[in-house]
Amino acid sequence: MKNFFLETTGMFFLDGGMGTQLQLRGLEPGEIPELWNLRRPGDVRAVHEAYYAAGSNAVYANTFGANGEKYHGDAPLRDVVFAGVAIAREAASNVGGRRFVALDVAPTGRLLKPSGDFEFDAAYDAFAEEVRLGAEAGVDFIAIETMSDSYELKAAVLAAKENSDLPILATVALGDDGKLLTGANVECVAAMLEGLRVDAIGLNCGLGPDRMLEHVKRLASFTSLPVAVKPNAGMPQVVDGRTVFTVGPEEFARDVASLVDAGATIVGGCCGTTPAHIKAVHDLLASRPVAERAMPRPSAFVTSGSRVVEIPLEDTIVIGERINPTGKKKLKAALAEGDVAYVLREAVSQADAGAHILDVNVGVPGLDEPAVLDSTIQAIQSVTDLPLQIDTSDPRALERALRHYNGKALVNSVNGKEESLNAVLPLVAKYGGAVVALTLDEAGIPPTAEGRLAIAKKILARGAEYGLKPSDFVIDVLCLAVSADPNSANVILDALGRVKTELGCRTCLGVSNISFGLPARPLLTATFYTMAMARGLSAGIVNPLSSDMMAAYRAYRALCAKDPACGEWIEAFKDWTPAAGGVAAGQARGATQGGASDGDALSAAIRKGLKSDASAEAKLAIANGVAPLDIIGNSIVPALEVVGKGFESGKMFLPQLLMAAEAAGAAFDVVRASMPPQDASSVKGPIVMATVKGDIHDIGKNICRALLENYGFKVIDLGRDVAPETVVEAAKREKARLVGLSALMTTTVGAMEETVRLVHEQVPGCLVTVGGAVLTADYAAKIGADSYSRDAMGLVRYAEKIFA
Amino acid sequence: MTVALDEIARYMRMDRELPEGALAERVEKLRKEGLAAVRTACSWRRFPISDGAISSGGVTLDIHGKLARHLEGCDSAYLVCGTLGPGFDAFQRRASVVSGADALIAQAVGAALIEKYMDSLEDEIRGELGEGESLVERYSPGYGDFPLSAQTSLLALLDARRKAGIALTDTLLMVPSKSVSAVIGVRKGE
Repeated sequence: MKNFFLETTGMFFLDGGMGTQLQLRGLEPGEIPELWNLRRPGDVRAVHEAYYAAGSNAVYANTFGANGEKYHGDAPLRDVVFAGVAIAREAASNVGGRRFVALDVAPTGRLLKPSGDFEFDAAYDAFAEEVRLGAEAGVDFIAIETMSDSYELKAAVLAAKENSDLPILATVALGDDGKLLTGANVECVAAMLEGLRVDAIGLNCGLGPDRMLEHVKRLASFTSLPVAVKPNAGMPQVVDGRTVFTVGPEEFARDVASLVDAGATIVGGCCGTTPAHIKAVHDLLASRPVAERAMPRPSAFVTSGSRVVEIPLEDTIVIGERINPTGKKKLKAALAEGDVAYVLREAVSQADAGAHILDVNVGVPGLDEPAVLDSTIQAIQSVTDLPLQIDTSDPRALERALRHYNGKALVNSVNGKEESLNAVLPLVAKYGGAVVALTLDEAGIPPTAEGRLAIAKKILARGAEYGLKPSDFVIDVLCLAVSADPNSANVILDALGRVKTELGCRTCLGVSNISFGLPARPLLTATFYTMAMARGLSAGIVNPLSSDMMAAYRAYRALCAKDPACGEWIEAFKDWTPAAGGVAAGQARGATQGGASDGDALSAAIRKGLKSDASAEAKLAIANGVAPLDIIGNSIVPALEVVGKGFESGKMFLPQLLMAAEAAGAAFDVVRASMPPQDASSVKGPIVMATVKGDIHDIGKNICRALLENYGFKVIDLGRDVAPETVVEAAKREKARLVGLSALMTTTVGAMEETVRLVHEQVPGCLVTVGGAVLTADYAAKIGADSYSRDAMGLVRYAEKIFA
Repeated sequence: MTVALDEIARYMRMDRELPEGALAERVEKLRKEGLAAVRTACSWRRFPISDGAISSGGVTLDIHGKLARHLEGCDSAYLVCGTLGPGFDAFQRRASVVSGADALIAQAVGAALIEKYMDSLEDEIRGELGEGESLVERYSPGYGDFPLSAQTSLLALLDARRKAGIALTDTLLMVPSKSVSAVIGVRKGE
């Protein structure tokens, strides 16, 4: 596909507002504008003709809302799109000259997951239908506009690419703060769109031309694609109950000229702009020579829906390694059981610890990797805005994950083997992304830096065939244990330096492998990590929860002028005190309180809801030789009894109960860790929990889950908006004796009733308890539930009875 | 925009002042994080009421039952919607992964903030009123016998998805979840 916009020399003029023009001709709020293509074609054509006459090279057909999700008119969508394109064509030939028609593609009106309930694939389908109709009707290019969610934008771009060969111009609507509704800034959007290889990008609607300036400057200095602008005629103002735009044609044209000076070459207008505005812009700019734009240096950016992260050449970032089941029993079990909450906690804790990107690998034997990777990535993206590194060796899993990923991902990985190059590179080229390149091939891992460099070069050359730049690659020179080969570290460090200086490429490394098989691994690993950063490592794949690793990272940056005024170092270590020979912090603190280890201090910490104190006191008690079961029986359980009773009698409130339970949970974890494995099976359950189909309010269910877990129950949390069949399936699989269902809305109690019925029918012996704002004990009985849980504590009491 | 700690406590169904200590500290922390996640957006517009309905461009919002009684004597009404934005939902999801207490507190922070925000929109609307006009109390779909199904036309009349980023789920819930829509009648003379 040729870049239509790059071929056009000089300025390219688009049209101005369509909706506001139709309103002047009588379109009412709430009316479907696209129906005018059939009912008032003369009015629509007149608007197009006026824009062409004013100097527009292209107009957008009146198809803004013509996707099957948004459009609910009484005429077939096909007729609306075909008529819209035909009207624009007629206008073009009436005015004469070389004129273009774009298919206008705009949001579905639905909010995609995770904020809403609309599926990415459903958005794709709606856009794909519109694109196929537009292409068949004969448009010249696809104009995707007014997008306020980068995820929906991605669905639209993929639909345009996969259902036509037409050039794509994609523009987004920024809010006052320069961000999309869903939080992405221009760099974040541009990185994703460049990865998806659209032909031109820009901004429309949202702001007037003056307020767009700052963002256009940033966009033009970030992207090498042509930049388009379609600003509103100022900010909307309400006069006599009507929305009006007040910036006149001359002022508008002057401000648009500033946007052109900042780098825009494709210009038009949006809400409130008129043919007079476009004429003024055209008169001012048509004969002006287009200045050469200074193009940005290509770099490696990855994004999430709202955050952009650069993998730097002259600095270093942290990739969190913890969501990878290799050697991690708990994570392996969590993935096998579908315990998403565990994985999400790993994600949030790594983000809080300072990771910049999170690796996600769900490779557990027997698991449907494409499905699990896809759903896990979507779940993680709903709780953190960090970009993700998709880590899989299964190309099917990779493609599905890349497609549904919100943003531009880091792909882990491609290597020098033919099979890998042929499978992975086309996917990176299609969906965009930076890709980790492992320096190994059919012959294995070369023992020398020279050999690894040669493979890196080969991968870069193959990437070029797919249009991938060296900056799209992050070279992994592979970390082998120094215990197996004493020269290993030297080779790695040598290779790191040479990749950077000779290839100009970024690097990453799974740092902790270096210390495999040796004692005191954190010490050795952190030291090697420091050495690697000093040799130019761009991204260490490390455990961000390890204080040794994060200290090495922060120390390197403070020492090498990457942390101005050592601000981050100071922030991270302002409360630091030297550890005396590995003594736990709690011990020193406990000692000052008179060495209380008899459980009173632990009880008190739990009752006050002090999580870290409870954990420290439990450690202290263990260190002092108190038997684990005594700690549970004499301190933790009595403390929970006190707060539970306090809550039931109205002396304590729910948040206090929850905090106390969390403190107890933290203490439990410490105690359990010190118990022999067979004793650790004191866990009760499992209990399957879900918010029913159609309901997205899951706070009540989440509180119940947390409290149950802190009271020692195992909970299988299926999330929200869960189909009855899914609940049944989980209850069967887990051999659950209790299912807990939650619903907040009266409209979803029907789904609850259906779920109760299905569980009783298909899982004999399994009890169902229900709760939620709209339910009462009577109502619960009416829909066939075995019990009604008034609140989280009530549920715990009920579960204790069932599992007694 | 901000909100007092005790107001948040009310939304946690605590009928007394927030006790000092761990809980108050947690509420303070989540209030700060929650405020950082807020990106408000809104849309409102005044419509005439005629023949027991608000109607425009083929979209009709029926006004009957308790709502009609509530709007007695009003010949026009504002439709309004406001939201804390999708970022606040993400903040709430993150909080609920961390802990049940955080989930509950974040929820209360959101409830207090959206109420504050809707009050501020109402004040702005009041500034638009003509001589001798006043507003009656906000009335939202799902309240009394005003059906949730009215959301579809109410939000369509406001072009809520485009102007405020508010959409509906299949089950007629507003998303982002911390959103409010309402009818506010305009009364003439006292």
